Amino acid sequence: MSENVSTLFDGYRAPEGTWDELFEGPGLPRHDVRQAVESLGTTTAEAFVRCQSLAELALLNQGVTFSVYADERGTEKIFPFDLVPRILSARDWSNLVKGLKQRVRALGMFLDDVYGEQRIMAEGVIPRELVLGAKHFLPALSGVRPAGDVRVHIAGIDLIRDGDGTFRVLEDNVRTPSGVSYVLENRLVTKKVFPQLFEKARVQPVDHYPARLAEALRSVSPRDPETSTVVVLTPGPYNSAYFEHSFLARTMGLELVQAPDLFVDDDTVFIRTTRGPRRVDVIYRRTDEAFLDPEVFRPDSLLGVRGLIRAWRAGNVTLANAPGNGVADDKAIYAFVPDMIRFYLSEEALLQQVRTLVCYRDADRREVLDHLGEMVVKAVDESGGYGMLMGPQASAAEREEFRRRIEADPRKYIAQPLIELSTCPTWDKETKRMEPRRVDLRPYVLTSRSGPWVLPGGLTRVALRAGSYVVNSSQGGGSKDTWVLKGAA
Amino acid sequence: MISRVADHCFWLGRYLERTETTARLLSVTRNLSFDGNLTPLQCWLPVLIVSGEEPRFVERFGIETASEGEAVERDMTWSDDNPASLRRSVNAARENARSIREVISLEVWEAINELYLWTNGRAGQSEYGADRHGFYRHVRLSCQLVSGLLRSTMLHEPPLNFIRFGKLLERVGQTSRVVDVHHHALTLVEKSHKVVETALWLALLRACSGFEPFMKRSQGRVTGDAVADFLVFEPLFPKSVVYGVHAAYSRFARIRPPAERDLPGGVTLERLRALDAWLARSAAARSPEGMHDLLTHVVDETSGICDTVGREMFGYETATESAQ
Repeated sequence: MSENVSTLFDGYRAPEGTWDELFEGPGLPRHDVRQAVESLGTTTAEAFVRCQSLAELALLNQGVTFSVYADERGTEKIFPFDLVPRILSARDWSNLVKGLKQRVRALGMFLDDVYGEQRIMAEGVIPRELVLGAKHFLPALSGVRPAGDVRVHIAGIDLIRDGDGTFRVLEDNVRTPSGVSYVLENRLVTKKVFPQLFEKARVQPVDHYPARLAEALRSVSPRDPETSTVVVLTPGPYNSAYFEHSFLARTMGLELVQAPDLFVDDDTVFIRTTRGPRRVDVIYRRTDEAFLDPEVFRPDSLLGVRGLIRAWRAGNVTLANAPGNGVADDKAIYAFVPDMIRFYLSEEALLQQVRTLVCYRDADRREVLDHLGEMVVKAVDESGGYGMLMGPQASAAEREEFRRRIEADPRKYIAQPLIELSTCPTWDKETKRMEPRRVDLRPYVLTSRSGPWVLPGGLTRVALRAGSYVVNSSQGGGSKDTWVLKGAA
Repeated sequence: MISRVADHCFWLGRYLERTETTARLLSVTRNLSFDGNLTPLQCWLPVLIVSGEEPRFVERFGIETASEGEAVERDMTWSDDNPASLRRSVNAARENARSIREVISLEVWEAINELYLWTNGRAGQSEYGADRHGFYRHVRLSCQLVSGLLRSTMLHEPPLNFIRFGKLLERVGQTSRVVDVHHHALTLVEKSHKVVETALWLALLRACSGFEPFMKRSQGRVTGDAVADFLVFEPLFPKSVVYGVHAAYSRFARIRPPAERDLPGGVTLERLRALDAWLARSAAARSPEGMHDLLTHVVDETSGICDTVGREMFGYETATESAQ
């Protein structure tokens, strides 16, 4: 096959011990995605570079940007985009879909339970203190059954792929997962610059996501879905994800509101319009829950909508996602998701996850402290790469510091073995050739009243720096279009 | 429609109109200054007066600098201290558009964003250096593209009505000020200087894109009074004051129908109706001597209407608060 793959991927080689998404070995594309890789490979480097800059210009002109510093006006950047798609076979994808639906269903049941009877703790499946001690557990919301009976309307489940090619869940995001707008924009750009290639590859579409999201939101309305008012709530144009908020409102045809546009009267939410107040039924909120309602979360704050939680509790408005969900994506609770699945669904987890030692448990903690040099230690309530110890690279002093911290507050830490992220060919502007770069995958799962649905593909984030494992946009990460191929016709 | 969104629509319309008018005014004045019939001060000072920037400019650079075309153009195009500069108008239009991206169509947003990126990037600045008319033309055409896209790619419902309403009020204010200032400028010219006077009036027509429409009406007879009369009272010329006021009134009556008395906006509607009727009466009894007072009334009333609609529909607490 190697003679077919000319020019673009010449000399491409993935590092040892790492799974590459497109290549089995040098010059040898993976069987399931071979056709697409080979047609991409016939593109010349010059043509590819031209397409890449066309793509970047299109993103800039359309204002597909994120704000670099939330408080400094006028600093917008495009999310770096790499034109080489990450390609998934129909078979791999259908296995993932089953596992994702199962997982999100269990997480929803866990939340209902935690804010209801707390059976899973009573039966000793998850230690009670671990749940009650989670930073994002909100006891004030106990006993609330949200209108529409869904709590995780939108989930983003982060997956990585280990050295054998096994997908593993790295973390769950069930509060306000972001990034889906880049999935849709990346696809538009790819189709624009690689039309023939794209057509030949037979890729599953993604552009129905907004329609599915609007449908899911309407389905959980406390009133007749057909006549309900659904809005998107944003912190405003200076929020780093503002582009996405406005993108989703626009593509769903919904109004984008800010907190001062809303008010609560008699436990009912209204919007201030040029024709007087109008009732709101469903709020897709993209604001942090700490800024939802000063009555409940920050008495001193002027931000938010006073009385919103009372209206939610009364069942007069649906909030998507439900407040209080953070307890389910706590990094210590993560370790128990397979137990949850067994407990609520009487099934074994279909998706693997990363082996996790919970320092709260004595045996786990001893193992962590004995092997600090081999592990990645994470604080359970931090994200974006903060509060982490990369054992193998850390100095003795850093390891000692973490030993002290773990012993002082074991609830706060978990540890995992270091996992190799899979690589995908990515254009390097410096070396002017394809280089292997680490990727992860965030599929999006929507849950309506009638159950979960998974968007084909999701957001592939890529660490653009050589050797880096960090895919966050704030730290030199970019994204790729994710192709899920259609099954055999 | 959300009040805050209506506010952004209104100001988007105003800034788009202001951008286009400023680009045209600078381009026309530059042309006029090359003819050599007028002193540089006679050419450039009115530009500063029309935009309300004369006091700031004179204090900062001195009155003699107002006769340097390059300095006035630079200030009116690039200055961040000048709230009427092209760059600031473009940026403000784009900022308002960015706040309501989900309300305007993608094509409208792209056209505004591209103008913003061009003006603030290398492309715009090098065009400014290499081909000044090309620069103003690019800005003007971009605004016209946006106007066309607004009409052809958006639902003809409240958001578009507020944008158009903002554009119309801005245009009424702009035409009134520009005619008034030229009246004033003529007092600086010796009365007998026919050539100079004609050059000024023709420039004024061009600044309002009214050269050809005027000629069709006047069959080539150019007098100051006829030009002023045309720009204020011609009912079929879209940049004239009476046309703008009447169109603003009918546009607003679509937003707030006179019959729906319970809806907010009643005071705004009444003020617009009164101004429209007053202009119709004034048209019957017009005289060149009354022009200045008439224009002053229109300018004051227009800015009063902007405040009223802000309080009635956009949720302003005071007259000064707004999306601008």
